[in-house]
Amino acid sequence: MRSKECVAMILAGGQGSRLGILTQNVAKPAVPFGGKYRIIDFPLSNCAHSGIDTVGVLTQYQPLELNTYIANGQPWDLDRTNGGVFVLPPYTSAEKGEWYKGTANAIYQNIGFMEQFNPKYVVILSGDHIYKMDYNKMLTAHKKANADATIAVIEVPWDEAPRFGIMNTDENMQIVEFEEKPENPKSNLASMGVYCFSWDVLKKYLMADEADPESENDFGKNIIPAMLGDGLKLMAHRFDGYWKDVGTIQSLWEANMELLDDKPGCDLDDDTWKIFSRNPIKPPQYVGATGSLKNSYTTEGCEIYGRVEHSILFEGVTICEGATVKDSIVLPGAVVNSGASVNKAIIGSDAVIGDGAEIGSTADDANSDYNNTKICSADITLIGPGIKIGNEKKVAVLSMVTDDIC
Amino acid sequence: MKNDMLGVIFSENPEASMGELTSLRSLAAVPVGGRYRIIDFMLSNMVNSGILKVGITTPVNYQSLMDHLGTGKDWDMDRKDDGLYILPPKDTGESDVEAVGGIERLAGISSFLDKSQQEYVLVTDCNTICNIDFDKVLESHLENEADFTLVCTKVKNLTPKEARKHILLNVDESDNVTDMHVYPGHQVTDLSYMHMFITRRESLMELVEYASTHGKHQISKDILLPAVLNDQVKVCAYEFNGYRKKIDSIQSFYKVNIDMLNKEVRDELFGLSVDNPIFTKIKDSVPTKYAKTAEVENSFIADGCKIEGTVRNSVLFRGVHVGKGAVIENSIIMQDAEVMENCLVENVIFDKGVILRSGKKLVGQDTYPLVIGKEIVV
Repeated sequence: MRSKECVAMILAGGQGSRLGILTQNVAKPAVPFGGKYRIIDFPLSNCAHSGIDTVGVLTQYQPLELNTYIANGQPWDLDRTNGGVFVLPPYTSAEKGEWYKGTANAIYQNIGFMEQFNPKYVVILSGDHIYKMDYNKMLTAHKKANADATIAVIEVPWDEAPRFGIMNTDENMQIVEFEEKPENPKSNLASMGVYCFSWDVLKKYLMADEADPESENDFGKNIIPAMLGDGLKLMAHRFDGYWKDVGTIQSLWEANMELLDDKPGCDLDDDTWKIFSRNPIKPPQYVGATGSLKNSYTTEGCEIYGRVEHSILFEGVTICEGATVKDSIVLPGAVVNSGASVNKAIIGSDAVIGDGAEIGSTADDANSDYNNTKICSADITLIGPGIKIGNEKKVAVLSMVTDDIC
Repeated sequence: MKNDMLGVIFSENPEASMGELTSLRSLAAVPVGGRYRIIDFMLSNMVNSGILKVGITTPVNYQSLMDHLGTGKDWDMDRKDDGLYILPPKDTGESDVEAVGGIERLAGISSFLDKSQQEYVLVTDCNTICNIDFDKVLESHLENEADFTLVCTKVKNLTPKEARKHILLNVDESDNVTDMHVYPGHQVTDLSYMHMFITRRESLMELVEYASTHGKHQISKDILLPAVLNDQVKVCAYEFNGYRKKIDSIQSFYKVNIDMLNKEVRDELFGLSVDNPIFTKIKDSVPTKYAKTAEVENSFIADGCKIEGTVRNSVLFRGVHVGKGAVIENSIIMQDAEVMENCLVENVIFDKGVILRSGKKLVGQDTYPLVIGKEIVV
């Protein structure tokens, strides 16, 4: 095995329970995004563009679809003779077998994988953020500062700072203190969950962390505080671009809709930093004589005979004549039949909305059996993958529909 | 499932006259249907039919075709065993080879044919747009115990001018081809040969060797016709009556693209119901963005477009930009073309990367669309 200067590890094992029915059968990083992507396309494409050609993807929760999606890594140019992408599920060994207990433990369990490449640096990424970032710039800064660890940070609005892990730095951007979700933040520099470590240092701390039975085996809670406590040199690396955690239905909806802005924060139409994905083998989209699309994002295999406004349609979606779709995200293969109306909703893959049905209805007689304000907020309605909504059925706003409504 | 058949596709067809569209690229590489090239249909048909080895002869202008095909990975043809072979002309040391036909092409790839292991070979032109299952053709070939099976299709009401572009077949009730009329002056039968045939690989090599050493050029006249007329050789017909259209002129090219606006044609051609998709090179284009001012009607639109104006009855390839107030009707606009604000475009074919500056008007005839060459700025 040839040595690699830097190996990336993507944490993709999380359930993403706040995405409700969308992650019932798939891991969060495999959730569709932006018309033709999945969330994991972002870190994988970033790696490809940053010149990192050896990537481990740590999976645990519902990994089948994610595994098939990543496969040999060809869409991201990660089908390499030396290096490439590797899906890393938990495994058993002679002594024991266990699930990944936390982010740090997941990396700990794969020390053997990383050692094969004899890396100098390891970049740890999470598989659930939307952003375009050159990790090589961070690595260069890390080397220049002769740091032990470098953590990417982004400025967040002060009133939102208490929701994040906040890095307090000195004037040289050296981290002096880390506070997880502080009530009274001293800084608005939030950790993006993107870390660069010198491998020998990280390895030592991973072993120590594993030996500590009290530890939660988490980077934010254990590894970073331990390094700070020992006086190691931890640098903050400021990132100025668009970055969004899409961990909730509302943030997922918002991040999709932000693509429709006149000047989108995360411009996907960027030839220098294309987001790669496993492309569907589908013909171009067809817009019929009765179809109309305004301020929308649509992709291959769609057939549009109805009215679509401020929405994102994924591959192979059919919108029939007389149907209206507004402020919505329609995932691959879903069908919205004649006269149906879909309002501020996320329609799961292959779901079928019946003739004249109403999704996101505010009518008094609308079906509110599936009201779920724990998952849905901001008047967003969620229809699960493969769910069928019968003709003329009205589904109340803020529902998360998990069964067919006939 | 895999089968024991080798595929050979000719990337050129001397009978096609495509003007500007083939001045810089081979016929097989002409863009069609929003995100495809002509070759994608025949190559995908072969892949979907279980053919694992395909050779494409590329006599001239093959740079864009090679760029498109690459290693063949988008067709799953980048293989250790078999896979895709691009067959450029060999430097034989002989210069000034006069008029070349299919026989010289096949003679030129004799070592490729020789080294292949497959029992049967399927030889086709590239420029018929259809979705056909060649495995069924092979099945019928084996069932009939034929020496040759010719794929043919029903034609009717050919004018004498059209008839001269066809090879018409007489077929008896047990699918035997009894006679063959190469480019006749009028329509003599209603079955037209589609320039696709199956035979045994080794017998093809022998026939090619014989024909090329006897000054013969054309596969149809010099190999198939003698076979039909020879009582010892069994030539059968396989009738295919799905959607098919030969692209051999600007008009037929235009018609194929416009035909794709029809749902039945799309469903059949792109194999949507039978899961025989047409593969093409992946470009990772972003989804198409429709602006608030977009008005789109009856159009076939690839990814990566940005539409701010009006588009009707047209085909847009990847990465086309339609400016505000611009109107595009009955047109074929290829990759990365830009139609700026307030332009009017009707009955036009834009090759790749054409830029039409603000306020310009370009109107062709519905019977004869106007072609604007690659990367021209108007």
